[in-house]
Amino acid sequence: MSFLELAGIQKSFGPVQVVHDFDMTIEKGEFVSFLGPSGCGKTTVLRMIAGFETPSGGTIKINGKNQESLKPNQRNIGMVFQAYALFPNMTVHDNVAFGLKIAGMNKAAVDARVKEMLGLIHLGHLADRFPYQMSGGQQQRVALARALAPKPQVLLLDEPLSALDAKIRVSLREEIRMIQQQLGITTVFVTHDQEEALSISDRIVVMNSGRADQIGTPFDIYNKPATRFVASFVGTLNLIEATVVDPASNRISIGDQAITLREPLGPVKAGDTVSLALRPEAGSIAESAKGDTALTGQVVSSNFLGSVIRTRMKVGDPVISFDMFNAPGLSPPAVGDVVTLRFTASDLLIIRE
Amino acid sequence: MKTQKIGAWIAVLFGASYFIIPLIATFEFSLRMRRGEYSFDAYRSVFSDVQFRESFSYSIVMAILTIVFGILLVVPTAYWVRLRLPQMRPFVEFITLMPLVIPAIVIVFGYLRLYNSSSFIPFTGSARGTDLLLMFSFMTLSLPYMYRSVDTAMRTIDVATLTEAAQSLGASWPTIMFKCIFPNVMSGVLSGAFITFAIVIGEFTMPSLLNRPAFGPYLQLIGANRAYEPPALAIIAFAITWASMALLQLVSRFSKSAPSKP
Amino acid sequence: MSAKQAIDLKKTAIDWLGILPFLLFAVMFLIAPTLYLVTGAFLNPAGEFTFDNISGLFTDKILASYWISIRVSLASSLGGAFIGFFLAWAVVLGGLPSWIRSSLLTFSGVASNFAGVPLAFAFLATLGRTGLVTLLLRDWFGINLYATGFNLLSFIGLTITYMYFQIPLMVLIITPALDGLKKEWREAAEILGATNTQYWLKVALPILFPSILGTTLLLFANSFGAIATAYSLTGSTFNIVPIQLYAQIRGDVLHNPNLGYALALGMIVITGISNLIYIWLRMRAERWQK
Ligand SMILES: Nc1ncnc2c1ncn2[C@@H]1O[C@H](COP(=O)(O)OP(=O)(O)OP(=O)(O)O)[C@@H](O)[C@H]1O
Ligand SMILES: [Mg+2]
Repeated sequence: MSFLELAGIQKSFGPVQVVHDFDMTIEKGEFVSFLGPSGCGKTTVLRMIAGFETPSGGTIKINGKNQESLKPNQRNIGMVFQAYALFPNMTVHDNVAFGLKIAGMNKAAVDARVKEMLGLIHLGHLADRFPYQMSGGQQQRVALARALAPKPQVLLLDEPLSALDAKIRVSLREEIRMIQQQLGITTVFVTHDQEEALSISDRIVVMNSGRADQIGTPFDIYNKPATRFVASFVGTLNLIEATVVDPASNRISIGDQAITLREPLGPVKAGDTVSLALRPEAGSIAESAKGDTALTGQVVSSNFLGSVIRTRMKVGDPVISFDMFNAPGLSPPAVGDVVTLRFTASDLLIIRE
Repeated sequence: MKTQKIGAWIAVLFGASYFIIPLIATFEFSLRMRRGEYSFDAYRSVFSDVQFRESFSYSIVMAILTIVFGILLVVPTAYWVRLRLPQMRPFVEFITLMPLVIPAIVIVFGYLRLYNSSSFIPFTGSARGTDLLLMFSFMTLSLPYMYRSVDTAMRTIDVATLTEAAQSLGASWPTIMFKCIFPNVMSGVLSGAFITFAIVIGEFTMPSLLNRPAFGPYLQLIGANRAYEPPALAIIAFAITWASMALLQLVSRFSKSAPSKP
Repeated sequence: MSAKQAIDLKKTAIDWLGILPFLLFAVMFLIAPTLYLVTGAFLNPAGEFTFDNISGLFTDKILASYWISIRVSLASSLGGAFIGFFLAWAVVLGGLPSWIRSSLLTFSGVASNFAGVPLAFAFLATLGRTGLVTLLLRDWFGINLYATGFNLLSFIGLTITYMYFQIPLMVLIITPALDGLKKEWREAAEILGATNTQYWLKVALPILFPSILGTTLLLFANSFGAIATAYSLTGSTFNIVPIQLYAQIRGDVLHNPNLGYALALGMIVITGISNLIYIWLRMRAERWQK
């Protein structure tokens, strides 16, 4: 049986419905990310789990227990907020000890647990600091320790990294994942950063204006996007308009170059337009590149992005981007060059919505 | 949540009654002058009183002088401290807050001893001299409010950049002061001016001890000798305070919505 | 080298020249008068050093006037702070419509400046012997206010009157502090298991404490130096220190000018102490504030 169940959750603020029919089950010890653009309702769902908002419909169960009648302070949930919500009048030690003291633990046990938690986030030496004396990253680690100290059943994190700079963000998200796996705590992590979600989650829920568009492992979400929204929101994607040449043999043409798709085209007739998706990393222009399909075009731009070089080429009207890995001996294509991109036909996905 | 809201309403209702009942009572009392019916006789009596008009105009003139000289003292000082003597800011701020710590009556007591007719600066030796001293004492009283409003307004503009820009265009110091700085801190200056006005009009202690015919001592005198005029005067004084504060709000709202151009 | 020094010197001189008018004003109208009184308190009429004036304060009459002043100021500042805090709480966190908040703040701006003589008139018209509330209590509820021992010209009457400007002052100063309480603090406390009461006792009040106590001290100093209201309410019958000092300035009722200086010094010391406590609190609060 799953540990955290959300069934048919609805939420309206006045006349505006911001969450529609949200269904999801999360296993014990699983790390699930809610991924979606700003305003899509991620925080709202999280706050309903925590009990800060009351769902307009549907049920939330934790460990088989309906949470409806429970106030936030009765749910035994840990939460980390976007803005560092540490209590400014307490030291790091007292912040972490807060939940434990509220629970009525004796002083020796509190001190031991605080020490253990501070050890976990490697901040034992800062126990006597006040929040304002610490960096954002350190504060957020303390917030994590504070949330975990009372051994909550579920950990909720609402964009805990978004106020930090890029380097810290990467190291802290890995730290969070490590601690989560170490403790085996069921975790919901809200983010609008797809890389973050892809790198640390067991499963991802991609949300789009109050609905869960797709739920799946990072691998599935990235490689088999179920909707156009998911495809375009997760990762960079070429969306290519193609013309149907012969539905029976799956022949289509992109900028007058005809190719054959692996996937059946379905009920279309010659002359129709279909949308295709291709990841920039799916093809290569190297002479040695393998692939059953090729498109030739003229380079319109070439950008050096560090580990990859992203090149855009024009194939008739459509423009297609592709990535090549950086290597010291590489000579990147120049604007105006004519290149041939080779890839496997099965990488070309048909987008139906 | 429910009980919280009920508690909030109770607090607000209690506060509202505390504030409003005395106003209603005062107004009601001021209408009682004619026996058996309500009338505005008390107001008529107040407005026809020569002493009222004289003391009121005296206080208004004093208020205006206080505001003008207060501005001339505070704006350049606040500007200079921000521009050239930032290390002096705590000290200057401390001085400007002193009138909140030392009671007005103590300050004026010092004046009376220090500047009496036999001292080497005999302010109180003549009526004009006393008026001057009274103006300075009003400036002292309003210093905390004036300095604060001006300094707050100055924080929002970049004094140093503004000055350098003006200097690079060849502006002289008076031009910088009056053409660049003043217009930009106008909202603060006006806020300070209205508070000063409210303070000066009602102030009793200083003019009373300096024996000048201001509005405050006049109010006290009427209070000791008449029955129905005092509440009428209280209503008038409240209206004046209200008007000053309304203008102040208007100014601060206006300056927030339309920041002045540099 | 020396030319550069000369320029530096000149620059410094100009820098100081800029605030010379202000310094002159401060010395003439704030520092010198205060110092004059402070030194005068330690001199006898012949100009010799003495503690006689200070010990002269310790007579029953003068001590009593300090005591009543302190009591009125304490009561009106504590009462004003308490009620003002609840009013501010009601409009910031009580979930009331927003027009109530803006009306209360506007009104507080006016009422906190409505002090002095007119305030005394207003309360005489309200709670005086023929005041509206006194009459209504008599006619509608059969309560004879003055028979219960109440008197506007007394400790309780003066306290109630002073609170008319103390409450709004508290509202004005404490509202921004309440606004500064972050929603996340409450939610973080709640999700960690705290009840509303625990949140207030362990998080909100400790955070607000310096502002609350600081404002209370400000209110204390504010009413301690006030004279106009009390004077026109009670004439010179009610012996708070400022009235005592007022009478001394007008007519040397203590028959010793230097004792008057000591009286003034006493006032400075008391308001000074309350301000020192305020500054100390601020510094303590800065341990966890930026
Ligand atoms: N208390 C509220 N009252 C009214 N509308 C609200 C309230 N809280 C959220 N909303 C609306 O609900 C929608 C979803 O908000 P939510 O905060 O869940 O978005 P989000 O996905 O967390 O976005 P972000 O990434 O910007 O944090 C938004 O359109 C928001 O305006
Ligand atoms: Mg959010």
